[in-house]
Amino acid sequence: MIKNFSKLALAAGVSAAIALPASALAEIRIGIAGPQTGPVAQYGDMQFSGARMAIERINAEGGVNGEMLEAVEVDDVCDPKQAVTVANRLVNEGVSFVVGHLCSSSTQPASDIYEDEGILMITPASTSPEITARGYELVFRTIGLDSMQGPVAANHLISLEPKRVAVIHDKQQYGEGIATSVRDTLEEADVNVVMFEGITAGDKDFSSLVTKLKQADVDYVYYGGYHPELGLILRQARQADLDATFMGPEGVGNKDINTIAGDAAEGLLVTLPPSFDEKEVNQALVKAFEEKGEDPSGPFVLTSYTAVQLIAEGIEQAGSTDPFEVAEALREGSFETPIGMVSYDEKGDMESFEFVVYEWHADGSKTAVN
Amino acid sequence: MQDLLYFGQQLINGLTIGSTYALIAIGYTMVYGIIGMINFAHGEIYMIGAYTALITITGLATLGVTWLPVILLIALICAMIVSSSMGWAVERVAYRPVRGRHRLIPLISAIGMSIFLQNYVHLAQGSRNIGFPALIEGGFQFGSSGNFQMSISWIQIVIFVTTFVCMTALSLYISRSRIGRACRAVSQDLGMANLLGIDTNRIISATFVIGAALAAVAGLLLGMYYGSVDPLFGFIAGLKAFTAAVLGGIGSIPGAMLGGLILGIAESMTSGYLSGEYKDVVSFGLLILILLFKPTGLLGKPEVEKI
Repeated sequence: MIKNFSKLALAAGVSAAIALPASALAEIRIGIAGPQTGPVAQYGDMQFSGARMAIERINAEGGVNGEMLEAVEVDDVCDPKQAVTVANRLVNEGVSFVVGHLCSSSTQPASDIYEDEGILMITPASTSPEITARGYELVFRTIGLDSMQGPVAANHLISLEPKRVAVIHDKQQYGEGIATSVRDTLEEADVNVVMFEGITAGDKDFSSLVTKLKQADVDYVYYGGYHPELGLILRQARQADLDATFMGPEGVGNKDINTIAGDAAEGLLVTLPPSFDEKEVNQALVKAFEEKGEDPSGPFVLTSYTAVQLIAEGIEQAGSTDPFEVAEALREGSFETPIGMVSYDEKGDMESFEFVVYEWHADGSKTAVN
Repeated sequence: MQDLLYFGQQLINGLTIGSTYALIAIGYTMVYGIIGMINFAHGEIYMIGAYTALITITGLATLGVTWLPVILLIALICAMIVSSSMGWAVERVAYRPVRGRHRLIPLISAIGMSIFLQNYVHLAQGSRNIGFPALIEGGFQFGSSGNFQMSISWIQIVIFVTTFVCMTALSLYISRSRIGRACRAVSQDLGMANLLGIDTNRIISATFVIGAALAAVAGLLLGMYYGSVDPLFGFIAGLKAFTAAVLGGIGSIPGAMLGGLILGIAESMTSGYLSGEYKDVVSFGLLILILLFKPTGLLGKPEVEKI
């Protein structure tokens, strides 16, 4: 009896071992890599919620060429070192497609690994021009570049006829890149940029910086970086009666800045991708998010959704799950997505992507400026 | 004139931040003075103090308490109780079992404790920045030139006064009270103090508790001053306070005060006249210089080898 039982168990084990890879083959695994914890987890939530929704909806309609999509989620904490670790983990998991990462400084080192291992990556949020400037074949994005966003911000500032402008950044790839682009555009238009200075990300005390801004008598301050630092700068500037208008990139535009800065966030100018969730064609999708109790209005929700959709459509058009063939299909085609028509240039950048200037309010809402 | 006001304003900024470094540095310096070890979990105790204060303030607000002194007092007491018990627990868990072993062992166990506490708060409170309500607002201006006014806010005044009061009280306590006397005896010679009937375990616990209570005060004050807390908040502050303690002479209480103020002023002057990017370069560069030329710190006593 015992003998029989062990034979049976053995047989079951063997058949399970054979069955497992077979069932795994019927699935297309997509890695989703972004910060689930850490100071910018807020943006990670947007990314994961968008990507999950896309996978759910594609699977509900029968998957891609009859195969189901399966998400493999990893947390990079927006830390370059961690990003390399999780990228290697995705390689070991046998993933061929990745939606991520979020922070440019994480995307850059991770993309080296994906390119070497033949994995196709679409970042829904990283705007640093560097990422696609290295001639990689498998790197794409569903967002614009700092070199597009910087001039939008700078041109808006120029239209406000500032007298003295300070440009501050957090010394990180994203923040410094966009701040440099803003400064260059301002200087080309002969705007008086009186200060260009870095702060340390994670710092809490900005009283010296605020005093310096006050003495420099600036009327506009551009900040390249994320919301935790800008929130504190706004609050400490308000306490010190600094009378200047602040502006920042999409990295500062989320509701967390209100919990830090309070009323001081009123009047902050932010460049963001346009509100895709307000577009008429996306209303069915918006409703699907709302039914799940999720908010589709964040800047990276629908870009992540689009990244997954592009992978699915790329696979369909290529008729294969080979990342190189899918990349080829993405470069050739143009796709109707929630963020508009998407077509790619040789580098993997979108041929056009729009940024809009919003004014931020103390209650966390925003209104488009002109 | 405007340059002078600018200098004055940066000095005020530096003194404010320096006073809080000093409050945290006390914890490092007392523990080192008594058992010759560095409590690397101290920055986390400060962070927990700030979180406890924030939770208490939010709780009181939902209960409808609006009178500011009561809110501050209760928040302070709660923060001190929680932080002190954390300080006590750290000593029991990470120090006492390995006391008397090789010096590196308690150091490593304290670092482990620090990582544990940081991640515990990560899990319990989330990793995002949480806004801290500005309870004490406003201030007054004095001296203006052109469009620059020198101003000092009430919260800055509260920070100076509290630090000064805490420091004076602590110095008096150490020099006058029974426990203070026992503390000094233990720091001079632990074994001998034990032979003379001093409960050294209790004294060592007391130092951890006093240091943690002061860190909680700093947590509440800095939370209100900066306006946000996050689980990594204690790490950098702890590092800076540790630098301040070494700068002033680790083991010396007036040294911690002096080191904190020097560090705070050096930082604000660097951001004010050079660039904020060099702030940390200057403060840690200062540490290296002091260690090279006066390894015992500004007010530290030269160590006498015990034979």
